[in-house]
Amino acid sequence: MSTAASILDGPTGASVAAAAYLDIVGVSKSFGGLQALNDCTFNVTHRQITCLVGPNGAGKTTIFNVITGFIRPDAGTVGFQGQPLNGMPSRHIVDLGICRSFQNLRLFSELSVLDNVTVYLPSRTDENPFRPVLRPFRANSERRERRAAALAILEEVGIADRAEDYVRNLSYGEQKLLCIARLLASGAELLLLDEPASGLSAQALDTMIALLLQLKEKGKTFLVVEHNTGIVRRLADRVVFLHQGHVLAQGDPEAIIADPALGEIYFGGAI
Amino acid sequence: MNYLLSYLIIAEIYALAAMSTNLLIGVTGIFSIAQGAIFGIGAYIVALSTLSDTLPFPLAMLLAMLLCSLVNVAMALPSLRISGDYFVVTSLGMQFVLTAAFTNLPGITGGASGLAGVPPPVLFGVELDDSQSFIPLATLALFAGMACYWVVMRSPFGLLINAIREDELAVSAAGKNVLMTKVGVAALSGVYVGVAGGLYSTFLSFIDPSSCDISASFLLLTMFVVGGARTLAGCLIGPALLMALPQALAVMPIPSSAAGPLRQIIYGALLITFMLFRPQGIAGQKL
Repeated sequence: MSTAASILDGPTGASVAAAAYLDIVGVSKSFGGLQALNDCTFNVTHRQITCLVGPNGAGKTTIFNVITGFIRPDAGTVGFQGQPLNGMPSRHIVDLGICRSFQNLRLFSELSVLDNVTVYLPSRTDENPFRPVLRPFRANSERRERRAAALAILEEVGIADRAEDYVRNLSYGEQKLLCIARLLASGAELLLLDEPASGLSAQALDTMIALLLQLKEKGKTFLVVEHNTGIVRRLADRVVFLHQGHVLAQGDPEAIIADPALGEIYFGGAI
Repeated sequence: MNYLLSYLIIAEIYALAAMSTNLLIGVTGIFSIAQGAIFGIGAYIVALSTLSDTLPFPLAMLLAMLLCSLVNVAMALPSLRISGDYFVVTSLGMQFVLTAAFTNLPGITGGASGLAGVPPPVLFGVELDDSQSFIPLATLALFAGMACYWVVMRSPFGLLINAIREDELAVSAAGKNVLMTKVGVAALSGVYVGVAGGLYSTFLSFIDPSSCDISASFLLLTMFVVGGARTLAGCLIGPALLMALPQALAVMPIPSSAAGPLRQIIYGALLITFMLFRPQGIAGQKL
């Protein structure tokens, strides 16, 4: 319990304030009688991989929804690079540089792999139906440019050879890589990944971890929901332990994973 | 000859309306059953403008496109915030309200007996008062509509509306404004059906509420289902086949009083058959 005593009771100390990139302060959210988030406070450091761990129902996906503007918190604030995100529409949050993936992938299964990525490329004009009619040649050149940009991203994640395939024909591992490609297409700097490694074969898992580490080296920041402590050890620079919507601990992955009190909560002592 | 040309013109007009329906339902997944009413707005606007000599035909058509677009958007703005199934009911309500307006404003719309004697289009001083002279206009409108449809489908906007049909939440997560995109589709769809309505009333020189009531919306829906979702070929095949049906019934030895109900029965049977055995229609993609 000695280690736990130092890291339980949530975030304290200089490390929180020093290099705060994403700041979640006192966020609470309830759905009817269910308190999904309860005074949740943690931060994400720039160019690091922060893993969000905790038992089922801890509020991991809810905090993703709050950060990305899909859900408004009852209380508390979310700040990104010093700018408050509260009340901001989700599309503006993407513009600021935060993009999220979904646990159930939510790929466009009837579209090609390339089109899945192309949709995520930022654009100020693609919501206007009359633009392609009034400027058909410009629309066509934009289409070519966007497809080229999307293909470059697919090359970066290693599935460019599947560009013209339908998503439904991809393996699960390739679909997961496509999720990463879509996030990269958005241009976001902070990527929120909801269980990117779940259900992957050993080989696909290695590919995914190598890709995430490589993207981190290139300057991306990650907040990752992950259950597998082995993967957390390989990926995480920091770990945030969430339980019943409250941050019990955050800090060094080894310290948190090795903490018997947290292990008791997470695995019933089987850590 | 005139008979065949008339059939072709009507099929071309409905092909434009089918593109409108396809944009909304087939591509974007907005299941509207008020398309018949919006078609009626286009038809009445052009009929009223030209009958009263307020506007020449081209300007009347532009006004019809604009108003149909605006009405579609006005309907869309509050309704698109609600989920798909509820939108069906909202659009059905809109259909009923507009049909009631067409029927119960005799001072404007001619009431149940409609507006007769709508002048034929006049373009560059030429009066397009028969099928031979009208078909170039209908064909040109169809080709322009097809070209626009093709360009839109290949554009980033076309990709976005396809993605919205697939997964709205994932499109929101990409930072796109889903509501504005749907409003955009509603506007574009309104332009198509406005053109179709305007051409319809000037070609037939007549418009009444029965041409734009709930059965007209179902007819457009049947064309969409039979032709097929999303493809241009589907937009052409559906109207071509369904507009041939009344002509085929007319030459059969059936009493004229039975032809109408029989047509409705066949439309209904087609809807059921296609949904059961070929939901993607003749030339469409998976719904």
